[in-house]
Amino acid sequence: MDKLTLLRTLRNDVAEPSSEKLAPSLDKLERAFQSTNSQKRSPGSANLADPSLQSRTLTARRRFAFAGFSAAGAFTLVGVLVASNLLGLGGWRGGADPAAAAVLERAATAALTFEDVPLSTGQYLRVSSQNVHITDGQENNGPIITYRINDSSQLYIPADRSDDWVWVREPSQVVDVLTPGGEAFAERHHPSNTEGRMSQLLRAPAGAFYGNSADSTWGSFDDMPRDPYLLLNYIYLRTLGAGPSPDGEALVFIADTLRQGTAPPDLRAALLRAATMIPGVTITDDQATLNGSTGTAIGRVESKQSLRVEIIIDPSSGRLIGEREVAVVAIPESDVVAGDILSWSSVETAIVNVAPAGGTPDGVSCELDLRPDAFGCVTTGNN
Amino acid sequence: MNKDSGVIERSLREPAAFGELFHRYAAPLHRYVARRAGDSLADDVTSETFLIAFERRTAFDLGRDDARPWLFGIATNLIHRHRIAEARTLKSLERAAAEPEYDNSPSVDEFVDAQREVKRMARRLRRMPSADRDCLLLFAWGDFTYEQIAQSLDIPIGTVRSRMNRARRILRTEPLSEEVHHGQTHFASDSA
Repeated sequence: MDKLTLLRTLRNDVAEPSSEKLAPSLDKLERAFQSTNSQKRSPGSANLADPSLQSRTLTARRRFAFAGFSAAGAFTLVGVLVASNLLGLGGWRGGADPAAAAVLERAATAALTFEDVPLSTGQYLRVSSQNVHITDGQENNGPIITYRINDSSQLYIPADRSDDWVWVREPSQVVDVLTPGGEAFAERHHPSNTEGRMSQLLRAPAGAFYGNSADSTWGSFDDMPRDPYLLLNYIYLRTLGAGPSPDGEALVFIADTLRQGTAPPDLRAALLRAATMIPGVTITDDQATLNGSTGTAIGRVESKQSLRVEIIIDPSSGRLIGEREVAVVAIPESDVVAGDILSWSSVETAIVNVAPAGGTPDGVSCELDLRPDAFGCVTTGNN
Repeated sequence: MNKDSGVIERSLREPAAFGELFHRYAAPLHRYVARRAGDSLADDVTSETFLIAFERRTAFDLGRDDARPWLFGIATNLIHRHRIAEARTLKSLERAAAEPEYDNSPSVDEFVDAQREVKRMARRLRRMPSADRDCLLLFAWGDFTYEQIAQSLDIPIGTVRSRMNRARRILRTEPLSEEVHHGQTHFASDSA
């Protein structure tokens, strides 16, 4: 038997699924049809965007496999949830453990009392984010080289949210190499020489990048209840069917919304209080340091993914410092062991008076000139 | 049967028309994902693939009749987010192959040899770069041509060829002749 024939026999016993097995997926798609028809796009559908859109904001909510509920059970629950907010998933199945709930409550109180500095006309809120994650590769029959890369971006949100938003997505950079001797490999694939390295520069009214509506991309803060119980059920409704579990996905939704840095104080507080009602949430590290900032890590273990998903908050301000994913088991044939941080992301916000010039809704390749008087693209390349 | 491009064009006016693509391709796409990353993940990836495709249908090149490469490309991107699940699936294949069920048949030696070969192949598959594995498995399990793989992964066909060559070396196998396996000779002579 030749190798190709043999390869084709591998897992050839996996059968095509039945119509019944595919029914939940079809149901979700049909709901999307209805949503399109009614022109009402929920925040939960925000992340059905371009797969090339690798911002964590846009990928995190749908990153995990659905598990924990049977599909049939989940869709039965839709009916219950739609029927009444009083019978939602949130609030009656337990919640975060007491220590985590106390930290979240303290953070929520702080968030309420924290006054956002208002943006003046022409100013922008700059949300700088870093997303460091593990990747690997192999050349010929050599060893697998595991290393970490960093994807950074800066999002410029105008004082008038209907004006142009600007988003700079920088090229990936190697952070460190986990496999001894793998530095040359990482350098070949992600050259450290910055000359000619292109960022992606995007510009779109109301942040409607990649052809998506603003609300579907960033969420509609106005639609989100401020009552934590109602808000949690709102979140479950919009994330149902995504993620490894409804509870894990709800936590990711909360992190996604906090990460934007533009949620009003009452919503930030409600989000943190909603997190206190998510079962399985615990304090995983009370002195977690992320990119130089220290806070409290609160998270859940997603056993299906062998990951612990954590959000790190500053309890004294209610501010989200970042998120991380920690391996709870070793990854076979890699240098990743239990306890290793598989990825982390951090956010920082600042008020600035200028955003880079140029850009399109789908992005252009751009070598940025960072000088204040020439803030924008020096050269543009092909997309 | 309407071409896929016609279905997508119609779905721009009538969203529900997009359901036709689901009926055509959801089952084979689910099977492909399940072979790579396991059955439970396949449910989620299949669902997500069609939701993403529906959202992005305006970006589909209506000059292409066949939506299958586009859909499998989206699924491939989604599989990348589940690296652990894929590694586990391939690892379980190795384990299964390493535990042959011995019997008294005269061909037991051949059977054990075959099992060892499966184990070796599963290990090589797991250890190869994901970009090479994408190409190889779209070819071997998805029955894609090189051109379809290029469309699917949005890469030049020359890159497909070089990745396939590398994957072939890793598998230590003879050239994977497209002429033989897909009956489309024009791809083999393409030097792009």
